[in-house]
Amino acid sequence: MRGLSSLIASELKITLRDRMGLFFTLIFPLIFILIFGFLMGGFGGADSAALGTALLSERDIGSLQEALKDAGAIEVVPFATEEELSDALSKRKVDFGLLWDGEELRFLYDPARVEGNYAFQQLARGISAEFNLLRQGAVPPIGIREIDAGGIETKGWFNLVVPGIIAFSILSAGLFAVSGHITAMKERRILDRLIVTPMRPVSLLVAVAAVRLAIVYFSTLITLGVSILIFGLAFRVDWAGYFLFVGSATIGTMGLGTIIALLVRRPASASNLANVLAMIMLFLSGIYFPIEVMPPFLRALSQGLPLTHMADAMRYVTGVTEMEPVRFWAITLSLLGIGIVLFPILSRYVVRPSRS
Amino acid sequence: MKGILLLSRAHIAISLRERVTLFWFLVFPILLLSILALIFGNTGGEGNVRFDIALVNEDSGDGFSGMIERAFGEMATPAEGGGEGIFSLAIPRSGQDRGAFLEEEMERLSRGGLAAILVIPAGFNDDLIGALTGEERPAVDLYLNRNDPGSRMAGGIIDQVIAGVNREILIRSGRLDPEGEVETKAGWIGDGEERPGYIDFLLPGIVLMGFFTAGLFGVPGTILYSRDVKILRRYWVSPLTVPRYVAGFAIGHIGLCTLQFGAVYTIGRYAFGARLDFARVDVALVLLLSVATFMAFGFLIASIARTPNGGMAIANILNMPMMFLSGLFFPITGLPLFLLALVYVNPVSYLIDSLRAGLGVGTAVMPGSLRLAVPLGWIALSIAVAGMRLRWDVER
Amino acid sequence: MDRTVLKAEGLVKDYRDVRAVAGISFAVERATVFTLLGPNGAGKTTTLEILEGIRSPDAGTITLFGRTLRRVDRAAKQRMGVLLQEGNFEPYLKVKEVVRLFASFFAHPREVGEILAAVGLEEKGNALVRGLSGGQKQRLAVGVALINDPELVLLDEPTTGLDPQARRNIWSIVGRLKSEGKTVILTTHYMEEAEALADSVCIMDHGSIIAEGSPRELAERFGEETVIEFQSEDAPADAIERLRAFSDEAKLDGEMIRLETSDLPRTMEGLFAWAREAGIPLGQLVVRQPNLEDVFLALTGRRLRE
Repeated sequence: MRGLSSLIASELKITLRDRMGLFFTLIFPLIFILIFGFLMGGFGGADSAALGTALLSERDIGSLQEALKDAGAIEVVPFATEEELSDALSKRKVDFGLLWDGEELRFLYDPARVEGNYAFQQLARGISAEFNLLRQGAVPPIGIREIDAGGIETKGWFNLVVPGIIAFSILSAGLFAVSGHITAMKERRILDRLIVTPMRPVSLLVAVAAVRLAIVYFSTLITLGVSILIFGLAFRVDWAGYFLFVGSATIGTMGLGTIIALLVRRPASASNLANVLAMIMLFLSGIYFPIEVMPPFLRALSQGLPLTHMADAMRYVTGVTEMEPVRFWAITLSLLGIGIVLFPILSRYVVRPSRS
Repeated sequence: MKGILLLSRAHIAISLRERVTLFWFLVFPILLLSILALIFGNTGGEGNVRFDIALVNEDSGDGFSGMIERAFGEMATPAEGGGEGIFSLAIPRSGQDRGAFLEEEMERLSRGGLAAILVIPAGFNDDLIGALTGEERPAVDLYLNRNDPGSRMAGGIIDQVIAGVNREILIRSGRLDPEGEVETKAGWIGDGEERPGYIDFLLPGIVLMGFFTAGLFGVPGTILYSRDVKILRRYWVSPLTVPRYVAGFAIGHIGLCTLQFGAVYTIGRYAFGARLDFARVDVALVLLLSVATFMAFGFLIASIARTPNGGMAIANILNMPMMFLSGLFFPITGLPLFLLALVYVNPVSYLIDSLRAGLGVGTAVMPGSLRLAVPLGWIALSIAVAGMRLRWDVER
Repeated sequence: MDRTVLKAEGLVKDYRDVRAVAGISFAVERATVFTLLGPNGAGKTTTLEILEGIRSPDAGTITLFGRTLRRVDRAAKQRMGVLLQEGNFEPYLKVKEVVRLFASFFAHPREVGEILAAVGLEEKGNALVRGLSGGQKQRLAVGVALINDPELVLLDEPTTGLDPQARRNIWSIVGRLKSEGKTVILTTHYMEEAEALADSVCIMDHGSIIAEGSPRELAERFGEETVIEFQSEDAPADAIERLRAFSDEAKLDGEMIRLETSDLPRTMEGLFAWAREAGIPLGQLVVRQPNLEDVFLALTGRRLRE
């Protein structure tokens, strides 16, 4: 037991001194949040869109303005000419544009606004449909009452994203613990020296896992804290579930990292592979864009990714969405199981002599 | 001269033979291109979106409520030529208690398992007939999860379907003349009348990203490794000088980036239908400037880092912010001041801007005067710092 | 033609807190093998690195091929060949490609095929460097060092870590170079190597030259005496004292007892008598002339090999 605790202590010291690694585990997720949060704010329907208008004809203008008013969260910005409107659109001063010359209704989009245009086009369809009805004096017979049934009070879309980012940071930490850290130790022959001592390799793995867990808990709490303080987000954390899940997820992703390390021998390649897989999973896991808009096979793929389920579970324990408890336990225990099952295999990997 | 050419050939040969380098150089950009093109290329297009929704008709009889049901039913069936329907529609089974069904589905909605629920309330048909004669109109209840982008999208589509039903009813009842409707068109800013696809927006970004990772990771990785392992020292005890080595390295690097561009362009054009014309002088110059800027940047990193691992770490830290705070993949909007400042300092922002403008995809956003100055400034800075600090041989 | 190919004068090299080369001077004559001999840390490699042009001396000059330089330059390197103690080739290049590449750095290189044949790597021309064994990589390095048919060849610890067969190969290459009229400078910490190859030896310790001359001269200067060694196992406590009675010097040196004598017959007689009396088997008995190891020991009190 004494050997194990001194291993843990030395592993802790190494990790704390490795400023680069520390940076990646702690600061990186925060950078991610900042950048992506600001950039992707518009996806899936902006909270409000700025529509630039160039109304070059007086015909039916009353109906048009009525339709614009009914269109919901739109801020109308008038321009005198089409050139001014195009210019404002390309400079991102407005999100999309509307031209009316008395005969034809023309909506103008910036092809670069990939993630927003879908929503803008929906708004445009709504406006033109409403306009057509109003100018003929017709009133749509069926109304729609929108009711928010989300179930939990949250502070907007970003509130949903942050738990997903936390899940992602756990994934990275776990993957890199093995494919980066341990594989690097292997290459530097540190493990070889350890093997010839009476200390069992399992003890080293336990030490690495213990330190990694501590770091992950710390970093996820910091991330939560920052989101609350800087972005004013709201969470209702189930602390017991939180600690249990974060722990299982870390161990489980370490197990996944083992698979990578077994496939690829050099630490440079292993951490590169882990990097790529993590990035792909990030895109496909529904953290930033809804899964529903992906092609069918990507949607199916998404369901098979651990990160997708980790993000869902994370949203559940931070009180942002609901989930069936059964599903939560299934996810948590599977992750724990993966980690535990792969541990002995990892030991054997550690014990295998390194090639020169 | 021969030495320089052989060095560049060697550089290319090594990079292509080493599996890891090959992956980052070729496989990764193509992979990223494919994923992003698949996800965004057809956003909302036919057969590509699918929402799970529930429909509960609490009214009795057919009539208008039946019309609505049928409209949604149509959207749930696959379009012609295969693919799925836009909706996966859940409705109460025959004989099932509608109230109980609704409760179940509300539970699912709050858990994120459902995108939207549409409820046609009891007495709807009667109320609608009344609306056509001037009474207050009925409404259907649309339950959404406001914070979920997917739910909001589904809501938007449902709005459209209802709008279509509305239109149908008005036409049939003679209140709307379809001939008298105004035409609605969609237009795009930027060159050309044809709508540029997302792939045309994405491809230049991927091309530049490829050059970027080659410079940021490839250059310091190779130089620092070769130095530390004393591959370089074998050169320095021969008449080969540092400037010639760098020349050979640079030419090889340009060659590699050219290969990379060829691969990415081929996939973008023939697999995803990009319609860009790269065969223009100004475009070629921007590409060359980009390769040069990122290569110089790589030398800068090599001169700051002390070990190959340190170099990779620096590259990793700079990688994400520089790529995303530049408009490479997503346009820059709504950023707070301090992030915006980074965008303006970032040479990538100007290069992607110039490239897209030269290719006719969208219009230039960054100030014209800086578009050349910032990348050139970074090149000058990198050369200066690397010239002073870069160690070409190890100490003892 | 001037017979001196290289002359070093007052070379000094400091590293942070240690003086690696403390002002040394030597001259190397054409078509000879000049050796720097000394233990690890003596300053041999640093001196050679200065001659290779990798390091600049903090003081002193080098006169090479008739030109006086502070730092060895490109023109000089055209006429030199260097075998580094530690170095690598690009793992993912083919052997042929490596040779061709290095050949392109020189004005008058030999044919690639010729070089490969000279080091016995003709069959491996298309093999990647990473697939070569340690010995094959060393041979490639030798080939590259000789690619320009150099007048002066520098070899830094050329046989360290090699098996006896590989070592003999290197020795025969050195011999061949000398017979071709080339000048060789090599560093080593192996006494046998210096004795076998060198025309002149400089013994270095702690950055200075403590002795120079041909191996024979050095041995004669510092040891006119014959050396007798045998295993010290089971020797009685007063062995050394007793042995001093009939020898010039008696010492316990690790596992061996070492005697020096200028009167071999007398010492041998006394030794055998003592051994018979004390029941010592005289295992591994060696009677020999003094060698460079003995010279070093006499000068510094330490062994060449720790």
